[in-house]
Amino acid sequence: MTKFAFGAAMALGAGTLGAATSQAEPLKIGIIESLSGSQTSTGRLYARAVKYGVDRINAAGGFNGEPVQVTEYDNAGGASEAADKFRQAVADGVNIIIQGASSAIAGQLTEDVRKHNLRNPGKEMIFMNLGGEAMELTGDKCQFYHFRFTTTAPMRITALVNAMKKSDALGSKAYAINQNYSWGKDVQAAVEAAASEGGYEVVGEVLHDVNKIQDFAPFVARIKSAEPDTVFTGNWSNDLLLLMKATGDAGLDVTFATTFLDQPGNIANAGQTALGHYIANNYDNAATPTNEFPEAYKAATGAYPIFVEGHSTFALGQLQEALSTLDFKGGDINVTDIALALENSVYQSPLGPISVRKEDHQTIRPVVVSKVVKGAKYPADGTDMGFETVEVIPGEKAIYPVQDSCQMKRPNA
Amino acid sequence: MEFAIISTLNGVTYGLLLFMVSAGLTLIFGMMGVLNFAHASFYMLGAYVAYAVSSIFGFWTGILVAPIVVGLVGMAVERFLLPRVHAHGHAHELLLTFGLALIIEELIKLFFGDFPVNYQMPEALRFSAFEIFGTGYPFYRMFIGAVAVIMFTVLWLLLTRTRTGIVVRAAERLPQMAEALGHNIPIVFMFVFGTGAALAGLAGAVAGAFYPTNPNMGIELGVIVFVVVVVGGLGSLKGSLVASLLIGLFSSFAVGLDWSIAGMFDVVGLGDWARSVGGLLTLELSSVSATIPFALMLIVLLVRPAGLMGERN
Repeated sequence: MTKFAFGAAMALGAGTLGAATSQAEPLKIGIIESLSGSQTSTGRLYARAVKYGVDRINAAGGFNGEPVQVTEYDNAGGASEAADKFRQAVADGVNIIIQGASSAIAGQLTEDVRKHNLRNPGKEMIFMNLGGEAMELTGDKCQFYHFRFTTTAPMRITALVNAMKKSDALGSKAYAINQNYSWGKDVQAAVEAAASEGGYEVVGEVLHDVNKIQDFAPFVARIKSAEPDTVFTGNWSNDLLLLMKATGDAGLDVTFATTFLDQPGNIANAGQTALGHYIANNYDNAATPTNEFPEAYKAATGAYPIFVEGHSTFALGQLQEALSTLDFKGGDINVTDIALALENSVYQSPLGPISVRKEDHQTIRPVVVSKVVKGAKYPADGTDMGFETVEVIPGEKAIYPVQDSCQMKRPNA
Repeated sequence: MEFAIISTLNGVTYGLLLFMVSAGLTLIFGMMGVLNFAHASFYMLGAYVAYAVSSIFGFWTGILVAPIVVGLVGMAVERFLLPRVHAHGHAHELLLTFGLALIIEELIKLFFGDFPVNYQMPEALRFSAFEIFGTGYPFYRMFIGAVAVIMFTVLWLLLTRTRTGIVVRAAERLPQMAEALGHNIPIVFMFVFGTGAALAGLAGAVAGAFYPTNPNMGIELGVIVFVVVVVGGLGSLKGSLVASLLIGLFSSFAVGLDWSIAGMFDVVGLGDWARSVGGLLTLELSSVSATIPFALMLIVLLVRPAGLMGERN
């Protein structure tokens, strides 16, 4: 009975859909994000930024004669749940998958997309990766339909090293403390690789469990005994906060070179301890030459773009750029054409142009290096502290060579 | 020497923090036999209540009010929710508290948002207790340790030296007999559960100002607290204290030690070979320090299933 009812509903749905397609086929975007579970805070921000970007595309007339549709799928922070939601998105006819929080989930989705595209020629999907920074996504796992709209460890670390060296904040001894998984190892490798360029010696490095450690005091004792000037860390969430708090409590005088210090709540929780530390990221409000973008974002969403929202909005802007070069005249949407257009698109972000490197689909993008100061232009977390831009490293300077492991199979033209 | 002293200090204070959080759980399990999965949520609730209260009435008021509020919530849970499933056995009680934990977490997110809130210790407490090998030792860590020690002493004296303690223990051993002697057992249980929850609330209020107060703090500490209780011997207060200190010391020392299996091979001259093999052989102890409590639990369960000081077998 249920099966019959389901079938009937499908038929009915197909009927109405058939009626609709006589006008045009809408472009469907699916956000598969951590909307519950421990990474909700980050997942929510990605979803908000994507919605803002889609609203802008629709305000400019949508695509293919229809507004672009966007659906949220909750992956609950897990790869298996994400795979489930991917299948649902396929069933819903989604053309573009977007995800950001967690490289592990990005790894699952890029494989799912690759397999789907192999098995369903003509019904391809694109995966827009907004936050999975693991090197393997543009290395071993690189594929034509995956695009990464964020930085990677070498881009962030090289930017940090250059900017900090220029402002004489780097010192000659560096320590690397990172989480024991792909991202942390990438950061550690990048810190080692940049040593000669930055003129520092790596006096110690340690990898630790991811977000399981409650007490960082022993790690601080270990860092202290190595006597570094600068501590590089790719830690995020609790691992960063606890590390910084423990360092502040012990009165250890080091400069932190971080990558996720702008995660909401960090500055407020770290308090005075945060002052003077550095961060390299994709975007910061203070780095924009005019207030145009932050103000527009605030007008639409009620708050200035924070953490991942800025660069996620740029990714959607780039998609808009690519779509503007295409015209399917209201007919079937060819996703491969969209991917090819994305490859050629250049998005003029407030910080500089962002383009896609064809060999591995890593975006060539500017990296912002900032420092935590008092009385910042855009205060963070309701404190009087915030980020002050030290330098914006242009994309062509921040980019790193294509990894040898990337063997991309391009679609037959 | 410096390493040993600092690691011991860090290990003991961290161990005492673990005890502070697990004391209530131990009490509830030891006296009532209920494995309260929502215990870590009570801990989180304590931190958030203290944050909300302290932002208006000051830090110390927050510390006082949080245990009371969380204790009342605990009593309500024992009074209105647990009796309904009690007849179905322990598994159902566990499932109920598990569900409760999920609900509390989502409620916290609803009211306080997804991000960590800005719950800080007062500036007056933010100073170094003493200098050791050129590093200041934060006073607040000592404060956490002191609260845990007081908690243990008071609980232990209460249970073993007072009339209330006798009644509570009687209610646990022989409920019918205690009831026949005129004691109101349901009320006793309600207060025990309330006290256990209040202890978690106090721990949250104290520790939340030191660690970030965020919607994940319950899950993060919850697992390790269960390990403490299992290693200590389910329900044994002294066992929990010993287990907390053990786990604190083990994790603290592990961080500073670059031991790996390859290092062991050095003794027989195969170190270089082991390093060339890599993988598990070169895995450093410090990179798996958070796993040590679980390894300890495994060993204790294998060797002494009742836990270090447990009576039940």
